Amino acid sequence: MKTMKKSLLFLLIAVMVFSLSACGGAAEEEATPGELNVYMWSEYMSESVVQGFEEEFNIKVNFSYMNSSEEATAKLTSGGGDQYDLVMPCDADMTALINGGHLAEMNLDNIPNFANLGEAYKYREFDPENKYAMPYLMNYVYVIYNPETCPIEITKYQDLFSPELKGQISSITGIRNLFPIALVALGYDPNSSVESEIAEAYEWLKGYMANVKVLSSDDTEQAIVSGECSVALVFDGQAGRAFEAVPGLKVADLSDPIQLGVDELVIPANAKNKENAELFLNYLLDAEVMAENLIANPYTCPNVEAIKLTEDSYKLNPAINIPQHMKDNYFLQLDVGEAATVYDEYWTMLLSEQ
Amino acid sequence: MNSSDTVKINSRLTKRRHFKRNTAPALAMAGPVTFWMLFFVLLPLLYVIFISFMSRDLYGGIAFEFTTENYTNMLKPVYLNVIWQSIKLAFFTTLICLLIGYPFAYYIARKPSKVAAKLLMLIMIPFWTNSLVRLYSLGLLAAPKGFINIVLQKLGLISEPLQMLHTNGIVVVGLLISMLPFAVLPLYASIEKLDKSYLEASSDLGARPAVTFWKVTVPLTLPGIVASIILVFIPSLGMYYVPETLGGGKIMLIGNLIRNQFLVTRNWPFGASLSILLILITLFMLWFYTRVARLDELEVF
Amino acid sequence: MPKHKRERKKRIGQRIATGFALLIYLFIYAPIAVMIVFSFNDQETNYFWNGFTLRWYEKLFYDSSIVEYLWVSLIIAVSATILSVIIGTLGAVGLVRFEFKLKKLVNQSLYIPIVIPEIVLGISLLILFDFIKLPLGFIAIILAHVTFCVPFVIIIMRGRLAGLDLSVEEASMDLGANRMTTFFRITLPMLLPGIISGAFMSFTLSIDDVIISNFVAGPYSTTLPVKILSLVKTGLSPEVNALATIMILVMLFGILANSIVQAVLRKRASTVIKSYF
Repeated sequence: MKTMKKSLLFLLIAVMVFSLSACGGAAEEEATPGELNVYMWSEYMSESVVQGFEEEFNIKVNFSYMNSSEEATAKLTSGGGDQYDLVMPCDADMTALINGGHLAEMNLDNIPNFANLGEAYKYREFDPENKYAMPYLMNYVYVIYNPETCPIEITKYQDLFSPELKGQISSITGIRNLFPIALVALGYDPNSSVESEIAEAYEWLKGYMANVKVLSSDDTEQAIVSGECSVALVFDGQAGRAFEAVPGLKVADLSDPIQLGVDELVIPANAKNKENAELFLNYLLDAEVMAENLIANPYTCPNVEAIKLTEDSYKLNPAINIPQHMKDNYFLQLDVGEAATVYDEYWTMLLSEQ
Repeated sequence: MNSSDTVKINSRLTKRRHFKRNTAPALAMAGPVTFWMLFFVLLPLLYVIFISFMSRDLYGGIAFEFTTENYTNMLKPVYLNVIWQSIKLAFFTTLICLLIGYPFAYYIARKPSKVAAKLLMLIMIPFWTNSLVRLYSLGLLAAPKGFINIVLQKLGLISEPLQMLHTNGIVVVGLLISMLPFAVLPLYASIEKLDKSYLEASSDLGARPAVTFWKVTVPLTLPGIVASIILVFIPSLGMYYVPETLGGGKIMLIGNLIRNQFLVTRNWPFGASLSILLILITLFMLWFYTRVARLDELEVF
Repeated sequence: MPKHKRERKKRIGQRIATGFALLIYLFIYAPIAVMIVFSFNDQETNYFWNGFTLRWYEKLFYDSSIVEYLWVSLIIAVSATILSVIIGTLGAVGLVRFEFKLKKLVNQSLYIPIVIPEIVLGISLLILFDFIKLPLGFIAIILAHVTFCVPFVIIIMRGRLAGLDLSVEEASMDLGANRMTTFFRITLPMLLPGIISGAFMSFTLSIDDVIISNFVAGPYSTTLPVKILSLVKTGLSPEVNALATIMILVMLFGILANSIVQAVLRKRASTVIKSYF
């Protein structure tokens, strides 16, 4: 037992020595002219791109990693955003952040490369003057299936309701991902705030749940890759991974509108290095830079000029290269205001009954 | 020097002595924890209680208007059902951890202290890596194309892969793997100090081992048992990620209900009131334990 | 012979007990084994075994930030453990020994960090830190971790303290030792198994925490679990397994190095003593 005491002492000393040296290190870093603190997803921005920025502008970029858009939003609304210069919530959280006054206004004059974005991604409903949110990369939600094992042809959401698919679906989860699909299947506005429509969507989802075997947010594609399921409702990034492991999988050609989510870059209200943030945004929006970024991060991109410069490996990527009519026929997640609590109650009912 | 002065000095002296004997040590020992609990726990808790009586504004902020709706809202059958499911799962988890953890802690505690320290270390090491990665690895192990299925198929014991992932069985294993040390550590601390002479006396008097166990060992280690029940049951109430990652995800427990209120629906007042409910359930349970198990005599609380 | 029979029964019993313990260890270590094996998996995302590769370790080797995350995690965990054990041990004894006005309140508030969902604790601590203008980051994470570790230490310590014969303490003081000496010489050694359990528990809770750390973290304070969880969001890459494997290896190495250093020190100490004679 005495050895225990000694080990604790040993560890304590080791820690002290290290923290002293760590403090020294931090002091040195402050001496560099510029810095930029970014709070975003891990493995979502090419290192060479970041290095290029650091060298060109002599600004050190420090990354901190978030694990959900909602948590990042909660952190920003609770006063935890002051130390970051750029944060990456998704478009669905934008209304809450803008109306809560948690974001700083961007000066578009400092971001001339803004012009490279597709028209659909500028001046959007939640940010009509485009002062707060700069789209980075995006994701579609669609259906993939295994042609060898899937018993039916899927062309619309209603097909997911088919009794033949019992226990065959692996699905993403979340109130804001599943209710819109049910509402679209029923012919309603995907961001409806009418209680009777939400109630109908709940009934629809109850039927859908009977077919769902796995409901998960991080590894939804796992069950279709392993053969456990023959159909999966996934984000396009997950689809991309699934295609790599099982090349035979296919994207279902849907006639219904599909969901598009956009990861936005925003500047917190009290950010210390706002100019550096704008500099970085402008750099990222540069067509060549973004095209390079897409090599390591083959995701759907709102930067139309950058897409023109991409190689075939990106353009023909089966997860991105979906039928044009699907790409054009999309809907966004919008803030549903007071109806959020109604959704929540039906969602709780849906899951607690399983 | 008159007598009243002497009395004064005397009383000052006794006071100082009293301080030295009682107040100073009390301050040194109970002071830090009292400060910590007041400042870092009760102060934030006051805030949570405060917002639990407020309402949600249009975009998910807090509107400072008093309401008790968040509490009456909980009485809806849908939420009562969620609470009930959570209590059931926590109870089940605690039971399994105790049934497996007790003999295991007993085994370790009977070893010489050096060996025991190593064995305890061995049970903790897996927890020094990421719990999420461990759960996913367990999933890989039990997957249709996972190690277990492949071995069983190679041995010719099964022709089709067994469905293990996304079943209740794997959830139980996951819960056990996640919570076991919370049961074992307090049990170990309590069993270790068990005076062996009591057990010997009992068996010398002719008691069968089972009788000795129930009549001597269990009562003497009751404080450890209670501590491990608390440490397993209470966190289990809010735990949802094990059934979510291994059980197929179609589950709503009070843990993910509260998470949704704070993050997705942004109904912080309702989330706060649910958290208060969790605290009340816990306090009630503690009260219940002390009453039923008469633990007040054992100075556990 | 009844005695013979009893001996044999005892031996069988011991064998069953050992087998049972082995089974438990197998259960706990099976996922770890899988985790390690799949860190060598030649696949972008871990779905099934696809062949051996070292490229994930190679990738981590060239990523200098990994070492930083590991250090941040270790420093936070060790600091939080030491603080929690000190506050918790003193507190457990103090709360049993002394009567004071706030005692009941403190006793009950101990259960709050255990039961309150991590998100609620994380957000409310964030709001508190913002209110007192404590910059988010290192210190904030340590303070937050101590907050949820102390109750665990105290509850374990109480299991140890309850029924422990403390008359030895009085005897010690009757013999002239002061309170301080008595505490360090008598009380502390008696409590040691509880302290060790509490330290293990605190370290384990701290090294694995993601949600609370995430809320009170700032720039330069990314812990390994936070990084791992963020990695998981872009697919369960074998890189994550490699990272978790490195984490466990570093811990094992620390334990091993420590025991070797101590063995050497002990040997030297004994030779020094011998040389006097």
